[in-house]
Amino acid sequence: MNLTGPVAVAGGVEPRQRLHPLSPLLHSAKYLAVLIAAISIQGAARLGWRGFLGTIVVAMCFVVAYAVITWLVTGYHVLGRELRIYDGVLVRRTRAIPLERLQSVEVVRPLLARMSGLAELRLEVVGGGKTEAPLAYLSVEDAAALRERLLALAVRVGAPAVGTLPAPPPAAAVATPSWPDAPPRDAPPPDAPLLAGPSPDAPPPAAASLAAPPPAEHQLHTVVNRDVLIGQLLTPQVLFLPVAVALVVGQYWFDTSAWSFVVFASMAVAVIGVLRQPVRRVMSDWNFRLALQEPPAGQHHPGLRVRHGLTETRSQTVPLHRVQAVGVTWPLLWRRRRWLRCRLDVAGFSQGERDGASSDRLLPVGDLATGRRLTAVVLPGVDLTGLGLRTPPARARWLAPWRAPVLGAALTEHAFATRDGRITRELVIAPYLRIQSVRVVQGPLQRMLELASVYADTAGSLTPVAHHRELAEARQLAAELTRRAQAAREADQQTRATEPGQTPAGDAATTS
Amino acid sequence: MTEPSTAPPAGAAPAPPISPSEPPTSPLEPWPDTVTWRPVSRKLIAVELLGFGFGLAFLFLVVAIADGFGWPYPGASYAAVAAFGLLRAAAIVRAVFAWGYAERERDLLVRHGLLIRRLSIVPYARMQFVDVTAGPLERTFGLATVQLHTAAAASDARVPGLPPPEASRLRDRLTALGEDLGEGL
Repeated sequence: MNLTGPVAVAGGVEPRQRLHPLSPLLHSAKYLAVLIAAISIQGAARLGWRGFLGTIVVAMCFVVAYAVITWLVTGYHVLGRELRIYDGVLVRRTRAIPLERLQSVEVVRPLLARMSGLAELRLEVVGGGKTEAPLAYLSVEDAAALRERLLALAVRVGAPAVGTLPAPPPAAAVATPSWPDAPPRDAPPPDAPLLAGPSPDAPPPAAASLAAPPPAEHQLHTVVNRDVLIGQLLTPQVLFLPVAVALVVGQYWFDTSAWSFVVFASMAVAVIGVLRQPVRRVMSDWNFRLALQEPPAGQHHPGLRVRHGLTETRSQTVPLHRVQAVGVTWPLLWRRRRWLRCRLDVAGFSQGERDGASSDRLLPVGDLATGRRLTAVVLPGVDLTGLGLRTPPARARWLAPWRAPVLGAALTEHAFATRDGRITRELVIAPYLRIQSVRVVQGPLQRMLELASVYADTAGSLTPVAHHRELAEARQLAAELTRRAQAAREADQQTRATEPGQTPAGDAATTS
Repeated sequence: MTEPSTAPPAGAAPAPPISPSEPPTSPLEPWPDTVTWRPVSRKLIAVELLGFGFGLAFLFLVVAIADGFGWPYPGASYAAVAAFGLLRAAAIVRAVFAWGYAERERDLLVRHGLLIRRLSIVPYARMQFVDVTAGPLERTFGLATVQLHTAAAASDARVPGLPPPEASRLRDRLTALGEDLGEGL
């Protein structure tokens, strides 16, 4: 069967190319250590030296044979404006990546590859949590040449800012963020790994910005430290801790013989474990300041400058046009104080993003007026208090007896907003421009009740969902979302095209 | 390229099956008058049934082994497995008929699911890359799966059971349109 198919591409079809012939050996070498470890655990002593070596040799034969077959079926070529990658032994796969979509092309040389003079080419596109298309391995010259070629073909992508020259250690190939005004690092806190390093979420360092003076910015908001502290005291963990401790202590109070150091130590460990998160939050949200940054020369997207941290002052810039969605949360325990929390969902530029101890905060704690002001800055034209959320029909109570009155969805001028959650109320707002796809889902019970749910998928983790809408309304919502998203994309493209001083490369440096 | 070519059965013409007369099987059909849904190949039924058959054979094997070890209700167990197999097979057949896709001017619509019905509307402009995959069973029957990936992990645009020429055509069309439109993120 011919998956390649006849492809009408001007300029002829270039033949499919294989990876370097040494690749299968390198791939199987990776398994050798695993194999030795596995057999050692299973008891090399029982096998004896000869048996041990024999097993490894036989197993390695299979591994190498598999690697060779993999190598035989793996290939790539550039077809017109797209890169095709073929792989898969049992399940054959052909991946077509339009070159415009390439976010970065890196030549990486892991230890084994360096020893044998080979290199790996990593191609990344937006989305998926991992490198989408690693070509492992190519000779260094081939890898560099292919990278140059791909970048040259992908004219619209300013990847040179991201892809770097063959760098010896793999880590060095990943652009290390560095800011003109890098925050002074205090002594690393005890839990350094959790806070260490500036978030990779910030925009790529675009070499030019190193030389440029820091752009002008004006202060937006400063969070009162007392509120951060109170906010974290008003979390279930902290509130229930005294009760739990009292229960444990009380148990041993009447039976002093059972009290021992072990009991005390384990309780202390438990208390520390429970308090870790609120303490970490307080430390990272301390001195939380927001500023709006003027767009740097050549770009027209303002950035949001976020500074925060007690032991380690961190500052990061979130380009506003990279915000995929905003989440506003009203935790139950904060409701008396009418406080809320705002999150930003910024598209993951870096694939290796950690759970982001602090990269997503727009407002750690604040009142409605502040939240409304900041939301309007991030998503222009969105008014938090005047969204006009509509609740689903009364029969949705059959499916969501508790949440139904809270559920809501609204199509505003620029964004889609949905509300959910009876206890922890959450509002998710996604601008039409950032909607990736629209889904309508209908379960069996919903079908009986003639209801359906509408999802607006975004590139981040916050996805607005309109649960249990009436069928006609769901259909209309889906149609309207599709239409408005398309209109927003077109409008955006036009502004991009007409915007003077907007070089594609400069823009790509921030969008990539 | 060097994919082992299994000759498509004589009856299967490579022409994409277009059936505008497909009755609406789901209420989740926006733009009912402008969208023509295309079904997936019927051969997908065989692929799915065979795949399920392996699983079912394994279940029978488990029962047989249990029987050998003195399981007291072998007859009832065989009957239960067989009943489950029949119900599931019927569901598989119907599920294949529930799959459908439609190419509109700006977006791809995919609908599937029997119990939980799903409709995805994915704009071509949001396409990041397109995969064409074919497992061993699919290759035996001359089928392939096209999957459109967007930046959102939840986007669900997978069309199984396409004859290879149709898969290639769809892939080329998707990438070509994606290049023309938009910037993905």
